[in-house]
Amino acid sequence: MAKTIVQEFTKGLWKEIPPFRLVLGLCPTLALTKSVENGVGMGFALTFVLVCSNILIAALRKVIPPKVRIACFIIIVATFVIIVELMMQAYTYSLYEKMGIFIPLIVVNCIPLGRAEAFAYKNGIIRSILDGLGMGIGYTLSLGSLALIRETIGTGSLVGAIPFLFSYNFTNIFGEAYQPFSFMVEAPGAFVCLGLMLCVMNMLGKK
Amino acid sequence: MKEMINMVVVLTILSVTSGGSLAFLRDKTKDRIEQQQLKFVKGPAIMSVLPNVTNDPTESYFKLNAGTKQERSFFVGMVDGKQKYVAFESKGKGFGGEIGLMIGVDLETDQVVGVGITTHAETPGLGSRAKTDPAFTNQFKGKPLMETFKVKSDGGNIDALSGATITSRGVSDGVTQAGAIYKELKPQILEGLKTVKK
Amino acid sequence: MRDLLLFTISCILLNNILLIQYLGNCPFLGTSKRMETATGMAMAVVFVLVLAGVMTWLTRKYILVPFNLVYLQTIVFILVIAALVQFVEMFLRKSIPVLYSGLGIYLPLITTNCAVLGVCLINVNEDYDFLQMLVSSFAYPVGFGLALILFAGVRERILLARVPKPLQDTAIGLITAGLLSLTFFAFKGMV
Repeated sequence: MAKTIVQEFTKGLWKEIPPFRLVLGLCPTLALTKSVENGVGMGFALTFVLVCSNILIAALRKVIPPKVRIACFIIIVATFVIIVELMMQAYTYSLYEKMGIFIPLIVVNCIPLGRAEAFAYKNGIIRSILDGLGMGIGYTLSLGSLALIRETIGTGSLVGAIPFLFSYNFTNIFGEAYQPFSFMVEAPGAFVCLGLMLCVMNMLGKK
Repeated sequence: MKEMINMVVVLTILSVTSGGSLAFLRDKTKDRIEQQQLKFVKGPAIMSVLPNVTNDPTESYFKLNAGTKQERSFFVGMVDGKQKYVAFESKGKGFGGEIGLMIGVDLETDQVVGVGITTHAETPGLGSRAKTDPAFTNQFKGKPLMETFKVKSDGGNIDALSGATITSRGVSDGVTQAGAIYKELKPQILEGLKTVKK
Repeated sequence: MRDLLLFTISCILLNNILLIQYLGNCPFLGTSKRMETATGMAMAVVFVLVLAGVMTWLTRKYILVPFNLVYLQTIVFILVIAALVQFVEMFLRKSIPVLYSGLGIYLPLITTNCAVLGVCLINVNEDYDFLQMLVSSFAYPVGFGLALILFAGVRERILLARVPKPLQDTAIGLITAGLLSLTFFAFKGMV
């Protein structure tokens, strides 16, 4: 299964896109997609952790003894998670407040640990970077699109900012008369919406 | 045996490097995080107890010693360039521990302009309503700060939250204490105001 | 006492960790296909979480706070939990083989169950005292188990139903979870 380098990158965008194809990292997918801002913020944080931990693990893969590899992975991933925590506290504090407990929970998100075990521990640095980047961007896109649907239908407007890039403010997308379908931004809506998206992905994938 | 040593060495080096780099980063970001916390954690509480201010109170504040006890920060709220309000923290004893309060006072009339809960450990859904239900804290508005606040069952004039009398009592005590602090420090507060840039 | 009781109910139903707070969803979907595995997982989580809650709370109070190391909380907690799970596994295998044969295979999965780390973090973030911490570390996983077992019961029935192809497996599972979450939602405002 010699994949080309390009394929290592693109597989994370469609073929193995988390969390739809690889059902991993569901908790933040459900909890942080109330608004696009949170979803994309989480995607960025995860991408950073994933790429950094993939690089380090691929670089150290010959040194880490197989028996204690999981412990090593956890230490590496947790270190980068704390780096993200500190940086977010210092530079994007309001976003940090909104995401709250889910930032430290990136440690047990399964995606960084899963990729470390399944990919970075067996492959070279370049491939691991591309794998991490692809998966991270795929995750960001998934969370972003899910959040887009939920926020638009659930509140009738899109307000927020993408960290470091731009801010946006669209209110009353469907006009004044639209009654927000607040089911979508509550917990039950998260499950149903994700289930329906998965169904659409399955239908498209069948072709 | 060689494998054992190998494992221990790798894990130790990894932990030490990780701890070291995090300590370094922590040191570098510490001041910035403190400032951000002041702005985002205290900021909203300050803004909620001071109506219509036109400046950023987290940037114009001064510190005073209450008696010989710890330092207190006084945040100044300005309306159209005039120093009108001051906000400071107090605390009361609630059911689950201390309740942190932010109290806003009008400097001319000495009336309470707002009371906000900053931190608490009250029972979710009961005492925690002190923070989420504005009708409770609104009762303090417009009353002179230097009087004693009590809940109705103790002979006062504050309606307690149902099922959370201890919490309500704690908040009332906290505001009463704030009144005592304000009374004691009023001259120093007026002095301190001059040090804050307009 | 009354407050603690209400707090327990609020942890189990109102703020159900799975369906309202969205924690621990990976094992929720992974181990709910059969009733047997669901019960095993639920019990293992309750067992480990009570221990983990106490350990992490003590670690924070007596090690991290006095030495000013609170920023290392995430890494320390996950290592404490991982070590604890490993230790529990060894202990059970040696001393209580009956329990081990029931819970054993779920124990390694628990380290990466975000409900466990999540509850430990909630305990310290909300500044619970020892008793409150004990209640929450017990009540949250009980809520987790309740939701998991209910869900497994529904899912066993779904196996017999004819589900449209694209909806099969995880997709229908998530929609079912949504409906279940809706029922838990009705408890809001009860306390």
